[in-house]
Amino acid sequence: MASPEQRAAPAHGEGGARAIARFLVPKILQCLFVIWATYSVAFLLMHALPGDPVLAALSLRGGDATSTDPAELDALRARYGLDGPVWQQYLTGFLGLFAGDFGISIATGQPVIDMIGRAFPHTAAVAVFALVTGFVVALAFTVWAYIARPAWLRDVVAQIPPLGIAIPAFLTGLVLISVFSFGLGWFPASGTDGFASIVLPGITLALPTGAIFFQVFSAAVFDAGASPFVTTANAKGLAQRTVVTRHVLRNALLPSITIIGLQIGYLAGGTAVVETVFSRDGIGRLTVDAVLARDVNVVMGVVVVVATVYAVVTLIVDGLYGVIDPRTRTRLRTGKAATR
Amino acid sequence: MTHSRPRHARRIAASLTAGLAVVALAGCSGGAETSSAPAADLAQDIVFALKEDPTCLDPQQTSVTTSLIVGRQLADSLLDQNPDTGEIVPWLASEWEASDDLTSYTFTLREGVTFSDGTALTSEVVAANFDAIVALGASASLANGYLAGYEGTAIADDSTFTVTFSAPNVQFQQGATTMSLGILSAATVAASAEDRCQAVVGSGPFVLESYVPNDAVELVGREGYDWASQLREHEGQAHLDSISFPIIAEPSVRTGGLESGEYDVIQDVPYVDESRFGTDEYRLYAKANPGVPNSLVLNTTRGPLADEAVRQAISAALDREQINVLTGSLSGSAPTSVLTSSTPGFTDLGDVLAFDADRSEELLEGDGWSLGEDGIYEKDGEPLTVTVTAFYAQDVLEAAQMQLREAGIDLQLKMVSSGDFFGAVASGDYDALGAALTRTDPDALRTLLSTESAARWGIVDDAELEALLQEQAQTADADARQKLVDDIQQIVAERAYVIPTLETVQLHGSRAGVEGITFDSAARLHLYDTRVVSD
Repeated sequence: MASPEQRAAPAHGEGGARAIARFLVPKILQCLFVIWATYSVAFLLMHALPGDPVLAALSLRGGDATSTDPAELDALRARYGLDGPVWQQYLTGFLGLFAGDFGISIATGQPVIDMIGRAFPHTAAVAVFALVTGFVVALAFTVWAYIARPAWLRDVVAQIPPLGIAIPAFLTGLVLISVFSFGLGWFPASGTDGFASIVLPGITLALPTGAIFFQVFSAAVFDAGASPFVTTANAKGLAQRTVVTRHVLRNALLPSITIIGLQIGYLAGGTAVVETVFSRDGIGRLTVDAVLARDVNVVMGVVVVVATVYAVVTLIVDGLYGVIDPRTRTRLRTGKAATR
Repeated sequence: MTHSRPRHARRIAASLTAGLAVVALAGCSGGAETSSAPAADLAQDIVFALKEDPTCLDPQQTSVTTSLIVGRQLADSLLDQNPDTGEIVPWLASEWEASDDLTSYTFTLREGVTFSDGTALTSEVVAANFDAIVALGASASLANGYLAGYEGTAIADDSTFTVTFSAPNVQFQQGATTMSLGILSAATVAASAEDRCQAVVGSGPFVLESYVPNDAVELVGREGYDWASQLREHEGQAHLDSISFPIIAEPSVRTGGLESGEYDVIQDVPYVDESRFGTDEYRLYAKANPGVPNSLVLNTTRGPLADEAVRQAISAALDREQINVLTGSLSGSAPTSVLTSSTPGFTDLGDVLAFDADRSEELLEGDGWSLGEDGIYEKDGEPLTVTVTAFYAQDVLEAAQMQLREAGIDLQLKMVSSGDFFGAVASGDYDALGAALTRTDPDALRTLLSTESAARWGIVDDAELEALLQEQAQTADADARQKLVDDIQQIVAERAYVIPTLETVQLHGSRAGVEGITFDSAARLHLYDTRVVSD
């Protein structure tokens, strides 16, 4: 004997699942589209460039002895999957991705997937360190700027974080190395060995990352600070700390989640400089080397991996929106509203 | 064995007095030649910062200096060459002989040599090495150049074999001293080209411990190594227990690390930092790359460069001393031939290559060129414009451009990627190439200029030169060959087929407490005699 409530429950659950699917499926499709589009654009760009990738990669190893014998070049081209019509290379390469086959690096002869697999954790470690540090520091500065009195002090505090963007990472890195590696000997100047090697490159990247976080946080926080509910909370005599944590910071959370996706995109580019200065193996350096050597297979592999990370993070952020933002949450629950 | 004993005894005596020697040396550490022994109480480990990822460790495949600095420590060669005299001496081969027509070479291997995997060095392994190089094809261009015309290796017994060529090959004997023909173990040469890049097993004084691309290469000393060539300072094992090669791409980090003591040795000290490391606390190691110096290598089949007077005018208008001051190392000197001063067979042609602005002007005006309004010569309404295609040493070309501008010649620079440079070489679509060619033999000029060369950069049609280039490659008699090589340099410089600009100097640095770093004849480093003598 099913009571109305019991019948309603599964119906509601089904409706919820459908709503969630309706919410998520377009986003997953969008995510796949981003990866496909990135692959295609990168493929077109790499193939539109003049010059011969096999010759370029060969000259990396051969130096002034590089062979230009057409027969030998053709043999190498076949070996690296760069022979045949362009559309065929495009299809083979793209279909290979689904099988986890990223081809072989022309410059080093290693499987591309191995090279990325080796470099990725190093980059990810620095990026995560920079994100977390940047987030925490930006938060601290935001709170400080919010509660700082008098007004001129608040202005001064608010002016400090933007410096993080103004100073190039290259310079920050060199200064940190000369002070903390060569001067004090606290951290290694190079390499990817352990946590100590992450600190300096991480800080170098945390500065611009934190600066962007700060811009977003402070805008949101000062907006919230000026809004009626905070005035009400203040009027109710709530402690400053409670007002800041309960009302002001919570309002800053949403835009900061949005910005994380963008920050990861930025970090993917920023690591190239930092990995060169700190002589770290990583995705950024791998990309620079590959572009210089016209190593198309590695470039395509890196592009796909970075696009995937970016797309997946965006997907997660969008998903989190559904959980955090009450408006989206309501739409999900009622189902109907989502189809609007 | 018998004659090595006194040396051995001397070495023991030397290490007994090591402490004393260090004290005695403190006063003369500025000198390049020292003979102190490793300090007994110091760890014999060094950190040597490389400037780039070696990419491929296999010395037979790569010709990049960075890779060869590592590869030289892992692999020995059949022969060795004295970088000062050019004399060729035994190494893995105790005896060798060339046939009169230079189409076959017979070697006898030294006894008791093993690879670090425990296998023995035999005729069969050497034959497998050469066969594998030919099979590598384009992946081992330089080594294949030395083996041009390779027909096969006939094995007489375990330690005697004959390498034969289809045509006379003079460069093979010298090539056998280079790392490009370094001998690797049977297992290594049987591996794929890619696998060989990651790990090689040789008979050298050091053994590869690990290679993490873009991070570091680690080597350890080989126990029981006892077959160094006589050009080295000592016998037996290397002094060092280990060498760590971190890959430090940023030059200021390398120099900073040398100052702070994080690195003992660094590759490629930037020329601007040279004076900073010229003090007693450091040592600098400088050597001009052998072969053809940085030059304009001309295509004489098109444009104004088809005209000999124009070519000579360009050569006369270049003040090479000034280019060296502007862009070169303090340790370097201006090129005075179309071979570098460090190449065996080099002839000083300072008079032919002297800076002479008046002569340049005379040549052009005598040839019917007249100065246009913009200060550039023109003839039949065509300006005297030459384009040079290059992928490195832009500063050198800019200095040349400045000087030629003053002489009324318009030099356009076309800086491209290395791939596009070789693309231009393949298609022959250029006026001039700006580059150097590193080889340890004057045969470099044949490689560069002969119509039959696979790596022909300079496009010239000169039957007299071609005949000389071919003849020197088939002449076994050293004096007769030197005569030919003299003539070749004279012709190439006078007819300005190759216009040298700068002798590129390899400049490395170490702290003063590390000694015994030496260049081989190819300007790559031997670390076998290297030792730590003080902190």
